Amino acid sequence: MSFPRGRWQQHAIIGGAGALFVALALLPLLWPLVELAGRGADSVSAGLGAFASAAPWVLLGRSLVLSGAVTGGALLLGTPMGLLLARTDIAGRKLLLLVHGFPIFLPPFLLALGWFYLFGRQGFLGGEASAGLLFHPFGFTTILALTFAPVVTVLVALGVWNLDPGLEEAARVVARPARVVTGILLPAGLPSIALASILVFALSFSELGVAMFLRLEVYPAAIFSRLGGIDYDPGEAFLLALPLVPVALALLALEYGLFARRPFDVLGLRNRGRKPLPLGAWRGVFSVACWGFTVLSLLPIAALALKAGLGGGFVEAGRWVGGSLVNSLLGAGLAATGIVGLGAALGYGYARRLSCARFFDLVGVMAFLAPAVLLGIGFIALWNRPATQRIYGGIAIIVFGYVARYGIIGIRAVAVAVAQSPVSLEQTAAVFGAGFARRFVSIVLPLHRRVLGAAWLLAVVFCLRDLETAVLYYPPGGEPLTVRIFTLEANGPEAVVAGLATLHVAVTALVLVAGVLLLMRGERS
Amino acid sequence: MTPAIRLGGVHFNYDRRPVLSSFDLSVDSGQILSLLGPSGCGKTTVLRLILGLAVPERGTVCLGDDLVSESGRLLVPPEDRGLAVVFQDLALWPHLTVRGNLGFGLAARGVPRPEQASRIAAILKRLGLADKGTRYPGKLSGGERQRVAIARALVLEPRALLLDEPLANLDVTLKRELLPLFRSLFQERGTTAIYVTHDLREAASLGDRIAVLEAQRIVQIGTLGELRENPASTFVRELVEDLQNWAS
Repeated sequence: MSFPRGRWQQHAIIGGAGALFVALALLPLLWPLVELAGRGADSVSAGLGAFASAAPWVLLGRSLVLSGAVTGGALLLGTPMGLLLARTDIAGRKLLLLVHGFPIFLPPFLLALGWFYLFGRQGFLGGEASAGLLFHPFGFTTILALTFAPVVTVLVALGVWNLDPGLEEAARVVARPARVVTGILLPAGLPSIALASILVFALSFSELGVAMFLRLEVYPAAIFSRLGGIDYDPGEAFLLALPLVPVALALLALEYGLFARRPFDVLGLRNRGRKPLPLGAWRGVFSVACWGFTVLSLLPIAALALKAGLGGGFVEAGRWVGGSLVNSLLGAGLAATGIVGLGAALGYGYARRLSCARFFDLVGVMAFLAPAVLLGIGFIALWNRPATQRIYGGIAIIVFGYVARYGIIGIRAVAVAVAQSPVSLEQTAAVFGAGFARRFVSIVLPLHRRVLGAAWLLAVVFCLRDLETAVLYYPPGGEPLTVRIFTLEANGPEAVVAGLATLHVAVTALVLVAGVLLLMRGERS
Repeated sequence: MTPAIRLGGVHFNYDRRPVLSSFDLSVDSGQILSLLGPSGCGKTTVLRLILGLAVPERGTVCLGDDLVSESGRLLVPPEDRGLAVVFQDLALWPHLTVRGNLGFGLAARGVPRPEQASRIAAILKRLGLADKGTRYPGKLSGGERQRVAIARALVLEPRALLLDEPLANLDVTLKRELLPLFRSLFQERGTTAIYVTHDLREAASLGDRIAVLEAQRIVQIGTLGELRENPASTFVRELVEDLQNWAS
């Protein structure tokens, strides 16, 4: 791309968006370091004394191991699912992919709650033994592996779809479908599998709700406990957050090392119209296995609905929900608008390789991959001041947090779309007299309006499912629905909690269906 | 008289590989120049330098009396050069109707709405597209898209029109239909044009003069007859022989 340099409109739009995004996402991530530097040597050395004992390191190691186990489990389940659903003639594979993928959009904590209603001591199918397994690292690992397996499935499917059809057809001429899958499709999906591993590891390491619900000690939960209750010690929380900085940087280095040169290959869709590979006599077996696994992963949702229905939770839920549903929808809607707004400018810059745009993308990746508690701690330190109480005490802080954590959704979605559209469309507009602002508004944005719509929808759903970020600093009376359910779970009636959880699932499904229908309706050939 | 387009002593590298060196070219006002050369010789780069989409490392680019680029500096951005372009892929904006495509540049250049409408109507009528104004590019045939791309460029009444192999993807029948149309359109409007191609037949049927680009510079400029009588290089001789064989 060789648009002329020194264009003030371009610098103003992309630079302005970038500066705003850096202020929202990078400053909070770095703030623990700033706090530490400002404390003075004595205070720092006293605080760092906490790290002299083995306890925090053991806890950190335990969290890393658990996240590794979750990642391994999700890969084991999601990789074959991705390959089968993307390229074989499994019965009802399109519907299966949609149903299987749905739990990605739900807070893992809700699914854990459903598993509890199934296999807890007094669960529908539970007893002492199943409850023991549930409240154990095995239960934590299994629940999260089942929850995050669709992340792997979807990314592997995208990676396989992206393969040049000619490569697969050349293999089909000389090999049976099984060998094509293992010898051609699986290696083609390796970059996607690697990306999925990073994502699942980051998501499970950030996971707070499931660990706290299952009373499992993990590092982020230890930090969270310093921000409230009997362990209240925000100073120590800041210090405990420090080891998360290298964890975030390591994940960032992995993501960039593996994908910085080809972030769009993984997400591109080269050809979805290929004829699926026939499974022959195995079709029935694999179809039953895939559908069985999908139904299994949806069982906790059914358990939530059943629990609520049997206990009158649906009727009571209306009384307990308060303003949390409106807070959720409003916060998610506003944040998604911000995410898409910033993402349009920054994603465009990244796709067209404009200066600094790669740095903004890096900030977005880091804010997403970094443990959510690190971002939350930074938000508290940065915004909880007398001068910024209007922001910290209202919905704005929730919106800012969502934009910071999920901003990368907008950046990457737009970058993928722009990178795949011919630059000549913009160059022609430039030659015809349009400055950058006019090109951006009249050509780039309308061309990619469906991508912007899809990114908005995805961002809304990710904000709706968020618990880990918002739970750290939600304002009084401004808690989103996930936080409401999480806080009620400890003391509230079970049926009401189940009713609210089912309401959350229903709202998410409604938003997704309505959004997808709107996007399809807006499609113009 | 000052040439409409002039490149002087231009050096341009791509990935550290020289694409143009000591490159000179001038096109007089109202002249149609066909720029011919083998694939990858830098023809498109010449257009991009004139358009302001690329900047020469050394040398100058002038449009009329205006110095627009000079030795690594973009003095006039593309949108202020008053040019128009037709790319090989046509680059018709798929989200805009034919009328929207034509109106975009006019609006960007501040042409009042009533004048926009009359200019668009006139050019669409001239190109046989009067009933296609509300269509989207995806709903047009290959030939219609080609004519829309030309209409979109000409409606701006540019100081020069640059065409980058716009017919490369069309069949022979459509090329035979469109080339005379282009020529008559350019002549009746006195349009200065550079037509990039690697096909001598196209170059000969459209251009007043043919410039052959080879080894990073122009090796010969002249009419088809001059090229035929006195080819300056083996490449030019082979091109002319090919044309003669084809004609016979």
